[in-house]
Amino acid sequence: MIHLVRFKLAAYARSHRLLQPMIGLTVMLILFYSTLIPPGSELSSYADSAGLLIVVFAWASRGLLDTEPPTQRLISMTAARGPVREITAGLISALVVNLGMAAIAIVMPLIHGFAAMPVPADLMRGIGLHVLSLSVGTALGALASNAILPSPAVSMLVLFGGYVALLLISLTPVGRFSVPVVLWMRAANEGALDGALPGLAAAALFWAAAGMVFYVRLRRTRP
Amino acid sequence: MRLSSVSFRYSRRGPWVLRDVELTLDPGSVIEVTGRNGAGKSTLLRLLAGIMPTSRGTIAGRPGVVGYAPDVFPVGQPFTVIGYLEHMSRIRGVSLASTEELAVRLNATHLLGQPLGDLSKGSAQKVGLIQSLMAPPDLLILDEPFAGLDQQTRAELPLIIDEIAASGGIVVVSDHQNQLQNFPGADHWLVEDGAVTSRSGERSQVSAPPDGAETRQAPPSPDGMETPRPSASPSQGDRQPPISQPFAPQSGEGARQVVIEVLVDADDADEIEQKLRADGYLTRRTS
Repeated sequence: MIHLVRFKLAAYARSHRLLQPMIGLTVMLILFYSTLIPPGSELSSYADSAGLLIVVFAWASRGLLDTEPPTQRLISMTAARGPVREITAGLISALVVNLGMAAIAIVMPLIHGFAAMPVPADLMRGIGLHVLSLSVGTALGALASNAILPSPAVSMLVLFGGYVALLLISLTPVGRFSVPVVLWMRAANEGALDGALPGLAAAALFWAAAGMVFYVRLRRTRP
Repeated sequence: MRLSSVSFRYSRRGPWVLRDVELTLDPGSVIEVTGRNGAGKSTLLRLLAGIMPTSRGTIAGRPGVVGYAPDVFPVGQPFTVIGYLEHMSRIRGVSLASTEELAVRLNATHLLGQPLGDLSKGSAQKVGLIQSLMAPPDLLILDEPFAGLDQQTRAELPLIIDEIAASGGIVVVSDHQNQLQNFPGADHWLVEDGAVTSRSGERSQVSAPPDGAETRQAPPSPDGMETPRPSASPSQGDRQPPISQPFAPQSGEGARQVVIEVLVDADDADEIEQKLRADGYLTRRTS
C-alpha cells in the first residue's frame, strides 16, 4: 500500500493542486500572526488556529482524492488487489498531506508569531489540537470528494457548508456531542483545556472516524 | 471463478443493469463479451474484476492477480508514460523489465518518454494494456482493447491473450468490434436486457506469432464447427442469439421486426456490419 500512497502523493504534488490549500493556509497564518501573540496566549492562539484550519485541511483532502481520474481509481483498485486498499491509501495520503500542513501551522508561529516560546506542555497541547483538526478536516474533505459528490458545485457547498455547520452546532447545547470546535477554543482561552481535552478529543476523533467509515462505505458503490 | 445469481444496479431505486446472472469461468478460458452500447458490458467486467460489489448474489473464486484495462485510458495524469508505469510496477510488486518487454511487443517503446497527456487514443490504449499485463494476470479484463490500436498491436494482442489463457489465466474481453470473433476456443457472451447469453460462432485459428510460439485451437466437431469450450458457461436463459436465427422478419399479426436497407461505402462495410452484429442485429450483404 505504501507504493500506492506514494503514487497518489506524487500525482497530487505534480498536479499543483497542493497550491490551492497552501495559499489558503498561508493567508490564514498571515491573518493569525500579523501581530505578535503576547506571552501566555500561545495555547489560545493554537486552539484558534486548529479550529479555523479545519476547512483548509478539508480542502487539501478533497483536492488530493480528486487528483486521480475516476478510471485511474479503477486501475489502482485492481493493481492494489482490492478496492479497500485503494480507498485506504487515499485516506492515508490525505492524512500525510494534512500532517505536513499542520506542521507548518505549528512551526511557523515559533519562528514568527509568538512573542515568546510557549512552554513545552502548551506546544504539545497545540499539536494535539491540530491532530484533531486535521482528522476532522480529512474526513470532511473525503465526504466532499468527487467519488462521493461528482458535482463540483455541490462538493464545494458541502465542504464549506459542512464546516460552517460544524461551527454553528458546536455553539449549541449539543455542541459537546458534535465536533467541539468552539468548545476547545473556549477551553483554551479560559485555561481549562486540560480538564476538557479528553472529552473534546473523544468527540472530535469519534466524528472524524465516523466520517471516514461512512466515506469508505459509500465508496464501495462509488468506485 | 463462479457468479451465482448476480444482480447489479447502480442505486437502490435504479434500474437493474444485470439480473440473476449465473456464470462459471474456468482457468484458461477466453471470453468475448458483446452487446449494444449501455447493455451492461463494462458493468459486468467491473464486477468480474472486483471493482464493484454485486447488489445481489455472489462472485466466488476470483483469482488473486487481476489485470484491468479500461475502455478509455485516463491520460489526465501528471506523469510521463515511463513514470506512470514505474509507479504501477511498484504497486504491483513487479520489475520494470517486464514492462519494457511489453512495450516492445505492443510497439510502444517510443512512447515511454512522452507525457500521458500528449498521447493519442491508440497510444493511451497501449499504456492501459501494458499496466494490465505487467504482472502476469490470473484474470485479465480488457474493456474494448482494440479501439484505436495500430495494425501491429491489433495483431499482437490476440497472441498475448492466447499466451495468458494457455498459462491458465482467464481472459474476458469486451469487444464491440468483434476482433475476437474468430479466436480459437473463445466463448462469446452477449449482454442484453440484463442477461448474459452464449453466442456460438465460427472459429478459426489464430495466426502464429513471429517467434513460432504455439497457439491453442479448439478441436473441431464432426460437423466441421469447432466445439464450444465448456470452461466458461453462461447458464442463464435459453434464448437463441439473433445471429443464429433465419434472416427474415416476423410476419403476421403482432409482427415487431422490419427489414431496413442501408447503403454504405464498400470500405466501411466490414466495420459497420461488425458493429451491427455486435449490437445483436441480423445483417445480409446484397452487393
